[in-house]
Amino acid sequence: MAGARRYRGSNYRARSAGNRIVLYATIAAVALWLIAPFVWLFVTSVSYQRNLLARPFSLIPPEVTFENYRMILGLVRFHAEAQAGRILGGMWNSLVVAVVVTAVNLVVGTTAGYAYARFRFPLKTFSLFALLFTRMLPTVVLIPAFFLMFRALGLQNTLTGLVLAYCSFTLPFTVWIMKSYFETIPTELDKSALVDGCNRFQAYYRVVLPVSGPGLVAGGAFTFMLCWNEFVVAQVLNTKPGTTTLPPVIAGMNGQVNIDYSVIAASGFLGALPAVILVLMFQKYMVQGLTAGSVKG
Amino acid sequence: MFPLVYSLWLSFTDVNLLRTTGPALELGGLRIPLYRWIGAKNYTQVLWDPIYWDSLWRTLYFVGAFVAEATLVGLGMALVLNERFPGRPLMRSLLLVPWSLSRIVVGLLWIGILDFEFGALNGLLLRSGLVNGAIAFFKDGWSALNILVSVYMWNQAPFVTLLFLAGMQSIPEDHYAAAEVDGAGYWGRLWYVTLPALRPIIFLVLVLATVNGFLMLDLIYILTMGGPSYDTTTVSWHGFKTTFTFFKFGPGTAILYTLTALCLLLAFIYHRLILARFEPDA
Repeated sequence: MAGARRYRGSNYRARSAGNRIVLYATIAAVALWLIAPFVWLFVTSVSYQRNLLARPFSLIPPEVTFENYRMILGLVRFHAEAQAGRILGGMWNSLVVAVVVTAVNLVVGTTAGYAYARFRFPLKTFSLFALLFTRMLPTVVLIPAFFLMFRALGLQNTLTGLVLAYCSFTLPFTVWIMKSYFETIPTELDKSALVDGCNRFQAYYRVVLPVSGPGLVAGGAFTFMLCWNEFVVAQVLNTKPGTTTLPPVIAGMNGQVNIDYSVIAASGFLGALPAVILVLMFQKYMVQGLTAGSVKG
Repeated sequence: MFPLVYSLWLSFTDVNLLRTTGPALELGGLRIPLYRWIGAKNYTQVLWDPIYWDSLWRTLYFVGAFVAEATLVGLGMALVLNERFPGRPLMRSLLLVPWSLSRIVVGLLWIGILDFEFGALNGLLLRSGLVNGAIAFFKDGWSALNILVSVYMWNQAPFVTLLFLAGMQSIPEDHYAAAEVDGAGYWGRLWYVTLPALRPIIFLVLVLATVNGFLMLDLIYILTMGGPSYDTTTVSWHGFKTTFTFFKFGPGTAILYTLTALCLLLAFIYHRLILARFEPDA
C-alpha cells in the first residue's frame, strides 16, 4: 500500500530541488494572498489614521493603539460616537438572530432531513425537487416579496422577521446537508433500536442523533456563519436604527465621511472574529459535511 | 414557496406602497396586499430601458470573468494543496479565512488595500517608486469592475478549492498507477485522470459560481455602489436599486425575475454540456 500512495501528485521526498522550490514558492504566494488582507485589516484597526495616511508608507505601524476598539465599545467619547455606538447593539442583534435561526435549523432541519433519508411519503420526490430548486434560486428575488409581506404583517424592523426570512433561506440547505449525512448512517442502527423496543421517534433522537455529531456541527456552524454574515436582507428589512444586525451597521459607518477608516476596520475585525473562530474550530466537520452535501447534490 | 410565487405575482402588478385599499389576501385577519394586475407591462418597460441592456452585458462579462477566475484559481489551489508538504493542515485552515468573512468585511479590507488615500497597495507602490502618484483604482469604471471580480473571487475561490480537494481525494490510486504505466507525466495525469474524474464537481462549481456571480450585491454595495456612473451596475444591482432605492417594486421584481430565468437556463445548459453528454461512459 505504501508504494501506491506516491501516485497522488508526486512524492515530496522524491521531488527534484527545482520542483520543490517552485512548489514552496507557490504555497508561500497562496498563503500570503489568502491571509495578508485579513492581517492588514487587523493592523489598520490598531493604527492611527494619520499613520495610514503618512507617506512614505510603512507596513509596520509606528504606533500601536487600541483607541479604535475603545471608541466602538463606547469607552471613550469622540465626535462620531452615536454611529460607532451601534456596533455593540448590532453585534447583539446578530447574535440573537444567528443563534435562534441555528437552533430552529438544527431541530426542524435535522428532523426533516431524517424523514427524507429514511421514509417514503407522498410528494417526497416533488418536495425534494422543490428543495433543490429553492437552493438554485437567486434569493434576491425573494427580498421584495419579504419586504411587502413583512410590511403588511408588521414584521419590518423586528428580529422575528429576520429570523423568519433567514430560516426560509437556510432550512433547504440544512435539510439537504442532514439528509446526505443520515444516508451515510446504516439503517441497521435504526432497525436494531426498533427491535429493542424504541418507537421511530426514540430511535431517531436516542440512537441516530447521538452518532450524528459531525453532521449537526457542520449544519449548525454553516447556518450560524451565513446568518452572522448576511447583509442584503438585514439592510432592506430592518432599516430603523438599533433593529438591524452588524453588517448593515458597518456598511453604514463606511458611508460616513466623518469616521476614520481605522475605526471602521476595528469594527470589521471585531465583527469578523466570531465567524472566523467558529469556522476554524469546526473546520474538519464543516468541510466534511459541506462537501458531502454538495457533491451528492 | 409562498414568497417565490408572491414575488412572481408582484412582477405583473402595479405595486404602490402608499395605497392601502384594493385586493388583498386575507390570512386570519392579516392582509397581504395583492395590488392590480397590469399584465406584462413591467417587463416591457424594463426591457425597453437601455440601462437594463447595458447592465446585462456588464453582468455577463462579470459572471464570465468571475466563473473563469474562481474555477481556475480554485483548481490551482486545490492542485497545490493536494501535494504533500509540511504545514498542509495550516494551509487548509488559512483557506477558510477569506470564505468565512462577511462580504461587507471583505469589501472593507480591500478598501484598506486599494484606497486612493490610505490604501496599503498605493503606499507600497509609491514607496518602491513604481508609480509617481497614487492610483485611483475605483475611479475608472473598467478597473472598478475587474476589481469587483477579483475581490469576489478572493472570497469564493477557497470554497471551490474545498470542493475540488474533496473530489481529488476520492479518485482511486490505481487510476494514477495505470496512467503512469501508460507513460503519463504530471500534466498527462492531470489531463487524463484528474480532470475527467472531477467532472461532476466541475459542473457543481460552474453552476454555483454562475448563480453566485449573478446574485452578488453586497460587494457592489460596499465597494462601488454601482458607479462610477453605471460602470459597475449589474442586473441584480439594477433590480435591487429599482426596488429599494426608487421603490418601484413591479419593475424591480421583473428585472430580478429575468435574472432568475437566466440562471436556470444556464444551469440547464451546463447540465446538458457537462453531465449529460458524458453520462453513458462515466
